[in-house]
Amino acid sequence: MTDRIVGLFLLAISIWYGVTAGDYEASFGDPLGPAAFPIMLSVPAAILSLTMIIRPDEEPAWVTGKPLLLQVGAVSLLLAYAGFLEVLGFPLATFIAVALLGRILRSSWPKSIASAAIMSAFLFLAFDKLLGLPLPLLPEFVS
Amino acid sequence: MDMLSALAQGFAVAITPTNLALALFGCFAGTLIGALPGLGPVNGVAILIPLAFSLGLEPTSALIMLSCIYYGCMYGGRISSIMLNIPGDEPAIMTTLDGYPMARAGKASEALAISAVASFIGATFATIGLTLFAPLLAKAAIYFGPADYFALYVMAFATIGGITSVNPFKTLLAAFIGLMIASVGLDPATGTARYTAGSFHLYDGFDPIVAIVGLFAISEVLVYLERVHQGQEKMVPLGRALPRFKDMMAGGWANLRGSVIGFVCGILPGAGASLGAFMSYIAEQRWSAKDGRFGEGDPRGIAAPEAGNNAASGGALIPMLTLGVPGSGTTAVMLALLISLNIQPGPLLFDRQPDLVWGLIAALYIANIALLIMNIPMIGLFTRMLSMPQWVLMPFVVMVSFLGVYSISHSTFDLFVMVGFGVMGYILRMLGISLVPVILGLLLGADMENNLRRALSISNGDFQILFSSPIALTLYAITATMLGLAFLLAFRSRRRARATAG
Repeated sequence: MTDRIVGLFLLAISIWYGVTAGDYEASFGDPLGPAAFPIMLSVPAAILSLTMIIRPDEEPAWVTGKPLLLQVGAVSLLLAYAGFLEVLGFPLATFIAVALLGRILRSSWPKSIASAAIMSAFLFLAFDKLLGLPLPLLPEFVS
Repeated sequence: MDMLSALAQGFAVAITPTNLALALFGCFAGTLIGALPGLGPVNGVAILIPLAFSLGLEPTSALIMLSCIYYGCMYGGRISSIMLNIPGDEPAIMTTLDGYPMARAGKASEALAISAVASFIGATFATIGLTLFAPLLAKAAIYFGPADYFALYVMAFATIGGITSVNPFKTLLAAFIGLMIASVGLDPATGTARYTAGSFHLYDGFDPIVAIVGLFAISEVLVYLERVHQGQEKMVPLGRALPRFKDMMAGGWANLRGSVIGFVCGILPGAGASLGAFMSYIAEQRWSAKDGRFGEGDPRGIAAPEAGNNAASGGALIPMLTLGVPGSGTTAVMLALLISLNIQPGPLLFDRQPDLVWGLIAALYIANIALLIMNIPMIGLFTRMLSMPQWVLMPFVVMVSFLGVYSISHSTFDLFVMVGFGVMGYILRMLGISLVPVILGLLLGADMENNLRRALSISNGDFQILFSSPIALTLYAITATMLGLAFLLAFRSRRRARATAG
């Protein structure tokens, strides 16, 4: 069933991809233009998506329950980390992210916090000082 | 004797203190990463590429370091296969078949030594092959026109799954997904913005390195979370510290047989290391079937796939350097590095930047010897890495990935893109859609389109030019044969599966 849904989704994408490409104006001096290659891609891609709908493989073993929650938690955490990295500054954001990731990976609070403190300090020193990659040190509302 | 003087020149480049130090660091870091359970060579090279940027290395040094990491990962990958029964990547699966049983029988250090020797023989064989054949292929590749390159790319996409892939339809579809993602951004020839949804962030398209780190490293974390509640695997005790020389050589001729088979598989664009390891193991099993105890810890069952796997990784560098078409997932990642460093791989690379090519080849010889030394007497150090808790390892990998991507562009947008690719990579993996063709499509898409356009502007829009040169026709013939074989095998195994089920 998953194969069919994903196949349908990819089929829709391929059709949209090909149709959108048709809008790109063919230009001067180039016999092919920006539209031709995407259209050439969209046709076989659509056919291959159809094979997923017609001949689906066995259902993959999707995770359910707690592991799924952990995965959702981890992805949300990573997105939040990406969003808050520049707002909170690297050391603080990293400290929070590593501590929470450690919890998601089933370690205890003290261990997670210890590894978070060491890791955020180590990475900041290694990248900012040693490798010369400027990282935001302090939260935006402080500096 | 051209070649020998070129190689001598290469050693002069590789032996400079900076490059030598980078090579040794690469070997060490590579083995370490390869040994970490669940982190294969692709991940290892991918998360360290941004490091090469932030170190501000010149292209030759960056390439030497990453190639040594690549070789090191191939050596290190066997450690977690043998000690924990967890293969770091696809090619390492074959090593677990005999390596783990042998380790369980109390001969872990012997198994590790046999596989280190096999890795050395395989990798050295491939490096010699690279020295001999790469310049020849580069000379031949000068005659490739745009239409021939287009045919070559078609062949690479059609064969990337090799004949081992489960569902060839899905592998092909993966290549198309990659190609479609590659077309996002400003069209280089006409300046038309394609599929950018009006967002300026997408005008440059998706950076392949951001996509690779997301697809491999971030999705790995999600895969790991599936089995986090099962707890950590137990490690087999190492046994005696230094195995006897006789035991190390127990692989015997299987080392060389595996090397030859692996090397040939590696050269085929798209086939790569998994096929090399697989074919070597199967062939060795046939060869010594009468007295073999394969699957129960036969030394030849460790030596053959490990030699094959390493020979294939070296062989895969040949199409990558001479044609710009990688033969495996990891070489695809290295191609991403070359493109980011503004080096165009291909036949002209050997003429224009001999220092880079020969310096790299010389560094690989040095790396092999360094790795052999690191992997036999110092093996205890690396096996200790296996007991590193996942709640330290995984966050560390994630943070280095974030930092690496952030160091490329200093934009948080790329971080979101990386996480997005991570989720996509996880879903594709669950569906049994291989990620390597996606990467290959993403990397080669722009070039493929350019060559198609160049060919058609030569012929003024006549599509017949694509099928008019003998080189292109040969490539299409090979493509058709490989595709036919892949589909035949897939249908057959499907029918067999249905027959046993019904």
